[in-house]
Amino acid sequence: MKYMILTYASQQDYDGMAGKATGKPAWSAQDFAAMGEFMVAFNKELEESGELVETRGLAAPVHTRRIAGLINGLPVVTDGPYAETQEVLAGYWIVECQSFDRATEIAARLAKCPVPDLVAADAYADVRPIAESGADLDV
Amino acid sequence: MSDAWVEDLLRPLAPQVLGAVVRRYGHFDTAEEAVQEALLAAATQWPRDGVPDNPRGWLITVAARRLTDLLRSEQARRRREDAVATWTLPEQWLAPAADARVAGRASDADDTLILLFMCCHPALSAASQIALTLRAVGGLTTAEVARAFLVPEATMARRIGRAKQRIKDSGVPFAMPAAAERAERLGAVLHVLYLIFNEGYASTSGPSLQRTELAAEAIRLARLVHRLLPSDGEVTGLLALTLLTDARRLARTGPDGELVPMAEQDRSRWNAQAIAEGVALITSALGSGPAGPYQLQAAIAAVHDEAASAEATDWPQIMALYELLMRISDNPMVRLNHAVAVAMVHGARVGLELLEKLSTDDRLAEDHRLHAVRGHLLEMAGDHPAACAAYQAAADRTRSLPQQRYLNARAARLTVDR
Repeated sequence: MKYMILTYASQQDYDGMAGKATGKPAWSAQDFAAMGEFMVAFNKELEESGELVETRGLAAPVHTRRIAGLINGLPVVTDGPYAETQEVLAGYWIVECQSFDRATEIAARLAKCPVPDLVAADAYADVRPIAESGADLDV
Repeated sequence: MSDAWVEDLLRPLAPQVLGAVVRRYGHFDTAEEAVQEALLAAATQWPRDGVPDNPRGWLITVAARRLTDLLRSEQARRRREDAVATWTLPEQWLAPAADARVAGRASDADDTLILLFMCCHPALSAASQIALTLRAVGGLTTAEVARAFLVPEATMARRIGRAKQRIKDSGVPFAMPAAAERAERLGAVLHVLYLIFNEGYASTSGPSLQRTELAAEAIRLARLVHRLLPSDGEVTGLLALTLLTDARRLARTGPDGELVPMAEQDRSRWNAQAIAEGVALITSALGSGPAGPYQLQAAIAAVHDEAASAEATDWPQIMALYELLMRISDNPMVRLNHAVAVAMVHGARVGLELLEKLSTDDRLAEDHRLHAVRGHLLEMAGDHPAACAAYQAAADRTRSLPQQRYLNARAARLTVDR
């Protein structure tokens, strides 16, 4: 069974990670390195257990193009559709594991990721089962 | 940029970095800004701190970071003004040409070529195409481009800004033009490089006859395009033409900066290496298919360059080449040059008859070159009073001070002789 673990951040969080305080605190070089180290170890463990399908981080929310108007066939593009405080998808893991509970266990370990206190207070991750086929989507 | 070696290192990287950033993040206009700032940062930091292990990667990282900053403040400002940046996808994005879906990894070479095509987009005026090409592909700063064209920096900044806006508004995607229009678009690219070269070689205005940096930049860019499209005859022809013409640069001005006509140039000051390279290029191109206008012009330049003296010039061959050129690219300048060749082969009077027909062409009637050629041919024919009048008429019609001085001196010489 496949699950997706999703993490979120606002443009302000990205600014903080880039070392600039624009609403959230700026991360120090050590903060940033510590997170990187944690993620490398976390991913390596998942790879070794054979549960990691894929993981990616997304570029800052300002680099977003939203394509609307798909229905009437006249696509309209909006550059940077998010407000800077809006939390949007920042990264994901696709894991293949025994159960929803195991996927939850994996996601919960992200709580151990060292981040500045103010960021940690708001941080969350979602776990969602991936539909394996059209049948899974039937209600 | 102060240190020449950093500049030499940065200039070829400029289009690669811009290409990589636009390919990944879009926003041609803002990305171009970000890359310029990254280049400036490198120009100040590298001489001080040393060149990073991966200069290209360093520039891309810094430019991408700067792009994020620029987009962030742009979007924040727009949100404050309650204006959303939306654009309608152009038709070409919804139904791209079949050949546009090219699989595989794009190379830096592709990126540089795509940028050239973008900068020479038909929606732009020639002046904008030139300015944008020099900045985005050539890696020159706005101040450098402004200086080369003798306009205030603010004027050039506005010109480049408008050009980038038009590129953005045109909705052209970061991709090669479709095969059907590629030849025409490449023609526009070559024309822009040709104009840059000419502006550098025969400056249309100002006190200095040659603005050598522009000519050198045009040659550098022509070399780059030739490396990307080695089998294109016209690309090879343009590179050969610029080399063969620039080879005469040193001999073209006298000790006081005055213009020296080709017949009177000290040929030992011609650049033999550039001539050899140009001749080799044009020889290989001419053998490989129908010759286009750049190849024919390069062939003519080669005939001049290979003559040991002015008297040894193979004028019948030059005349024949101009006749070929007139057949594929008929314009008054070609006809004017043809008339000179005819005069050299069949005598000044025959040339002057051709000029008479040409002077009814409105595009040429007020051009100083027509009057200068008439002066030379009349002088050859021995009609000094009329030659003198023609030289003076030519001097009145050029904005270039060295050319004015040359023409007035020719006129004065004839007056003294009399």
